[in-house]
Amino acid sequence: MALKMRYLELNRKIRDVRMLAIQGIAEAGSGHPGASFSAAEIMGVLYFHKMKHNSSRPLWEERDYFVNSKAHSAPGFYAALATAGYIDTKEIKTLRKLGSRLQGHPVRYSERQKDHSFPGIEYSGGSEGIGLSVSIGIALAKKRDGQKNRVYTLIGDGESNEGQIWEAAMAASKFKLDNLVAILDRNKIQQDGFTEEIMPLDPVRDKWAAFNWNVVEVNGHKIEQIIDALSRVERVEDKPSIIIANTTKGKGIKHMANNPQWHGKAPPKKHVPILLEELQSEILIAPSIIAGEPENYEEKVRRAERAGADLIHLDIMDGKFVPTTSFFADTIKHLRKISSIPFDAHLMIEKPINHVEDYIDAGCDIITVHVEACSEAEFVEINKMILKAGISPGIAINPETQFPSWIIEHLDNIDIMIIMSVNPGFAGQKFIPDTLDKMAEIVKTLKSNNYKGFIEADGGIDATTLQQVFDAGARIMVAGNAVYGSPDINSNIIQLRHKANVAIETKLLELATINDMRSDWIKSRKNMLIPLAKELSIEEDLHAIK
Amino acid sequence: MQLSDKNIISDMRTAYGKTLVELGLKYPNIICVGADTTDSLKTKMFGDKFPNRLYNVGIAEANLVSIAAGLAIAGKVVFASTYAAFLPGRCLDQIRNAICYPFLDVKLVVSHAGLTVGPDGASHQQIEDISIMRSLPNMRVLVPSDSVSVRNLIPLLSNTPGPFFMRLARPSNSNIYDDTFEQFDIGKGNVIKDGSDITMISCGLMVSKAIDAALTLEKEYAVSCRVIDMYSIKPIDVELVYHAAVDTGAIVTIEEHSIIGGLGSAVCEVTAENHPVPVNRMGVGDTFGESARETEIESLLSKYGLSSDHVIESVLKTRKRMKK
Repeated sequence: MALKMRYLELNRKIRDVRMLAIQGIAEAGSGHPGASFSAAEIMGVLYFHKMKHNSSRPLWEERDYFVNSKAHSAPGFYAALATAGYIDTKEIKTLRKLGSRLQGHPVRYSERQKDHSFPGIEYSGGSEGIGLSVSIGIALAKKRDGQKNRVYTLIGDGESNEGQIWEAAMAASKFKLDNLVAILDRNKIQQDGFTEEIMPLDPVRDKWAAFNWNVVEVNGHKIEQIIDALSRVERVEDKPSIIIANTTKGKGIKHMANNPQWHGKAPPKKHVPILLEELQSEILIAPSIIAGEPENYEEKVRRAERAGADLIHLDIMDGKFVPTTSFFADTIKHLRKISSIPFDAHLMIEKPINHVEDYIDAGCDIITVHVEACSEAEFVEINKMILKAGISPGIAINPETQFPSWIIEHLDNIDIMIIMSVNPGFAGQKFIPDTLDKMAEIVKTLKSNNYKGFIEADGGIDATTLQQVFDAGARIMVAGNAVYGSPDINSNIIQLRHKANVAIETKLLELATINDMRSDWIKSRKNMLIPLAKELSIEEDLHAIK
Repeated sequence: MQLSDKNIISDMRTAYGKTLVELGLKYPNIICVGADTTDSLKTKMFGDKFPNRLYNVGIAEANLVSIAAGLAIAGKVVFASTYAAFLPGRCLDQIRNAICYPFLDVKLVVSHAGLTVGPDGASHQQIEDISIMRSLPNMRVLVPSDSVSVRNLIPLLSNTPGPFFMRLARPSNSNIYDDTFEQFDIGKGNVIKDGSDITMISCGLMVSKAIDAALTLEKEYAVSCRVIDMYSIKPIDVELVYHAAVDTGAIVTIEEHSIIGGLGSAVCEVTAENHPVPVNRMGVGDTFGESARETEIESLLSKYGLSSDHVIESVLKTRKRMKK
């Protein structure tokens, strides 16, 4: 299941979409953060990976169409279009204002609406339940003309209360529209409350299957699952497809998540810097499968994925660059068949330039080579090969190695930097505390050079060290023994997530305190913070609020 | 004005179907969409000729309108048709948001408008459509009076960008225009007969009522009547209405539609703002219609105040309101 995705860049762009959307909504003083956030990965994957489109030629005849039927997700939609280059990102701040091209609900671009829209918006939404039918019209026209354009339509679960959705469901299968893909943002919340209370939609899968659609269900926040589903539905003939994307309304901002109150409400403007920090603080957990019991990698990948790991970290050791030997591309090729979870390959090998192709072919989504194992020229060559394959390139640095200044020249092409907190070569080593200062220093250099990629901490990361490396700037945590060292992988990952939460909340609280809105922030996030009160030392604050 | 001198009876729907076929031969990007009424609306003629260019979406009007919008987004010129009773009212939201707002090339051509649909009764007697459609930004509203008008207007609809609403009547009627007449344009009306004492402005099947009344009025009451076929209700022919007001000093409007918001209202809007004169709006009052067998259509019209005799009465009354 090699997906050929530049996973980390996608992840970052989707984060940018959320950041832009929340700024737009706060500036406008109204809008729908919940729906913008539940659909961020869906729109991101479509615009930054899947769809054939060109922001400098919006009317390109071969383009795929995106119909945003649940158009109240407009802030997220505009943010995706801005990130894809259709408009300047600064224009987001005009959202919903008088004279803006970013109307509260988007209107299709035309000569008549040129002051209220921009090229790239295909569909005028706002009244729910219409977009799927409109998509049928587009798909019918393309199909009868023998054109290959595909139509992607985002619909909502609240929107599915509309009878017209089911008129469309019947018609699309009657017309055998295999060039049409509906994506249901199944966030289970609508304006008045939870969908299953307002108007139950389940069993939603069976409903669409009964209408003779090809149905696929995914976690709508897992980029790889969305990409995988979109590829699979392309192979279906004579039937329309629907991807039921199980999502969390308000995903990304904890106090908005799964809370009907945030369906259509703007956050106060003063909270924006903290919200942006929260979005940039997301922590990805990457279990390293060489840890724990030897071998049985397949089982380890499966269990980690089930437990909600974000990436699988693959330590490739050749017995030369490092003293031990682990596994090579053939093992990865085999593992690739069982899962679509992103593979984060860390090549601890000599002469990586001679082997990179093998790891690309094996289906890795991220390939990192060591700065100690290649010259700048070789790195550039390797980097090109990785980028050409459409996946994420990275570079790793050992504790003893001085940060080479040539890296600065290539930051735009680096999605991940692994800063080792142990000397590589063995599992189960102890974290070297001195590496924290080194990480902080490197992060400082990278930030001042506008590095947009991720920092990955690797070596001895567990519940006791996670917060320290987070504070130093790491956002991807390689966890070996912390995940596989004891049998209950689920609890181990939950424990790491808990520590990650504490680290994030601590940071946000500090920011709120500096900005003189500590109690205001705690109040708006009370429900999230109560369970962490002791660890965050905010019991008194909470008491004062009551 | 070349009027029909023979009594040729024809129906507007067949003219619609035939014209679509002719256009279809010339323009491959014309597509039709129907909603289980393609036989009745004669779009089936188009489908028979071009089997992969007519889509039948079943009894699903919202879908009909929205699928038409999608086809238009993909570059097609789309004719979407079903009964008047179900299109403007049931799908106002889709027409407004999916077609008018983005100014798409969707031409809504509906039939069985007005009281003359007959036996099906008030549920099917669409008498609010002109009013509803007229209020939508970007929408144009046409009400042809015979099959010659239909034959001439459909190509105009097809070639003029953006949305249109055209309403046809169910019954066949005598042609108003000579078969060779071609003078039709969006935003224009035709003077069927000139006159100096009063103007009758009508549309659809009511044009013949106006003509009949005008002949009687001239012969028996010595009232010289100007008769206008105002087939384009939005945009309306402002100049023609203005001159009627200036030249004849009074206007009677006649339409097979509610007196609220239709042709009469459109005419009043022009006179009130440009040259106020007495206007009497004839149409269905603020009420629903009722069933009548096909042989009873004239009595039905009469019961709701739309016979030639009612028109004569209205003209005489309106003339009395004129300032001496």
